[in-house]
Amino acid sequence: MAFNVQRRISSRLLFGLSCLLGISLLSCSSPKETVYRKSMVLMDTLVAITVVTNSADRAEKAMDAAFAEIGRLDTLLNFFSEQSELSMINRNAGLSGVRVSPETMEVVEKAIEVSEKSGGAFDITIGPEISQWNFSLKIKPDDKSIKKLLGLVDYKLIQVDKARSTVYLKEKGMLMDLGGIAKGYAADKAVEELKKKGIRSGLVSVAGDIKAFGLKPDGTRWRVGIRNPRSTEASNEIMATVEINDAAISTSGDYQRYLILDGKRFHHILDPKTGYPAQGCQGVSVIAGDGVYTDAFSTGVFVLGPEKGMELLQRMGFEGLIVDKDGSIHTTPGLKGKLEFTTNH
Amino acid sequence: MLIFLLLASCAGIVFIKNVLPHSGGVIIEVQGKVTHRYVLGQDRTVRVESPYGHLTVEIKGKKVRVIQASCQNKLCEHQGWVSYGVIICLPARISVSVGGPERPGDKRIDATSG
Repeated sequence: MAFNVQRRISSRLLFGLSCLLGISLLSCSSPKETVYRKSMVLMDTLVAITVVTNSADRAEKAMDAAFAEIGRLDTLLNFFSEQSELSMINRNAGLSGVRVSPETMEVVEKAIEVSEKSGGAFDITIGPEISQWNFSLKIKPDDKSIKKLLGLVDYKLIQVDKARSTVYLKEKGMLMDLGGIAKGYAADKAVEELKKKGIRSGLVSVAGDIKAFGLKPDGTRWRVGIRNPRSTEASNEIMATVEINDAAISTSGDYQRYLILDGKRFHHILDPKTGYPAQGCQGVSVIAGDGVYTDAFSTGVFVLGPEKGMELLQRMGFEGLIVDKDGSIHTTPGLKGKLEFTTNH
Repeated sequence: MLIFLLLASCAGIVFIKNVLPHSGGVIIEVQGKVTHRYVLGQDRTVRVESPYGHLTVEIKGKKVRVIQASCQNKLCEHQGWVSYGVIICLPARISVSVGGPERPGDKRIDATSG
């Protein structure tokens, strides 16, 4: 009798411990979601991809697919590559239309759309003007050269034939530059690739053009810092932070590419109407659903200046932050309570 | 047998804890491949070479900076000390990522726009 009781106790103890071991083993074989990060230089800038998944293998494959897509888009849209579709369009300006891929067509069409909505403040035909500047070598074109090429800057001279998939620049000497829209577009497409590979949460950053989706493992949204246009050291580099998910954010600033001559700053965001750097803002950040629009509209709003720029943002239903030329900060009403400013702002 | 099962359970818990990722440190990449990893807090100066140029990186205390770069525009040198973020030299295809140690409640930035 005593032996039977002892056997029953031992059996129950054994069963309980086996359950405990089973739970432990289950914990080992069902890993929690982890954050994976990888970066590469593509599109002449740093591209960083972050994904959340419980599989290192899935993370690797998804990130590699997203990087490959960005690399592919770069071969189509790169202004400095002779083999790109963009360069073919530019070489045939005034001569003939060029048959292009669906992606190039989509970027050009969306660029024209932003031009129309911004009254020409964003214009991808700015190529002849911006090509005259070299910010690394501190080369500024003279006033005569700037005025001479203004006639070639007009998005209405882009002819798109959807049926034939062609893009034609009507005047010889015209140049399209997609630098103000391609990175945001690439971020969108990279996110699509991540989702196709089963990633449900992540962030793609192509330089400062960012698209985020889903939530982090702790359930919070993605936290993005907005750069201080007049940062002097690491401690004041970030002006404000905002949390986003299923949204994109882009920033255009007069501190990204510029030269100083005789104490005056000349930066890379040219006003298509004058050929000179736009004067109203130090920085503009736009938040919307798609990177292609945040990228292009951040430039357009910058050129328009704080007042007209803010009107455009509200007309489009986008959120935005504008730092004007004096350093004052203007935000859309929808960002109230959502921006966290650092202590020195 | 019972003792073995108990030990196996405990080993599983320890194994899980040890494979959780650590944070912080300095990661240097050349053409997208990790070439150097260092902890913050151990001072050193490192010369990093790539087929396109070189950087000299200084790690001091909990901060990092580029003290000499082969590129023309020297933007990476001008960036100064960084305690969290990335210093990039595009011409040399070298990036230096600096991650601070995680603290409970630390509101880490996931990306920077601008």
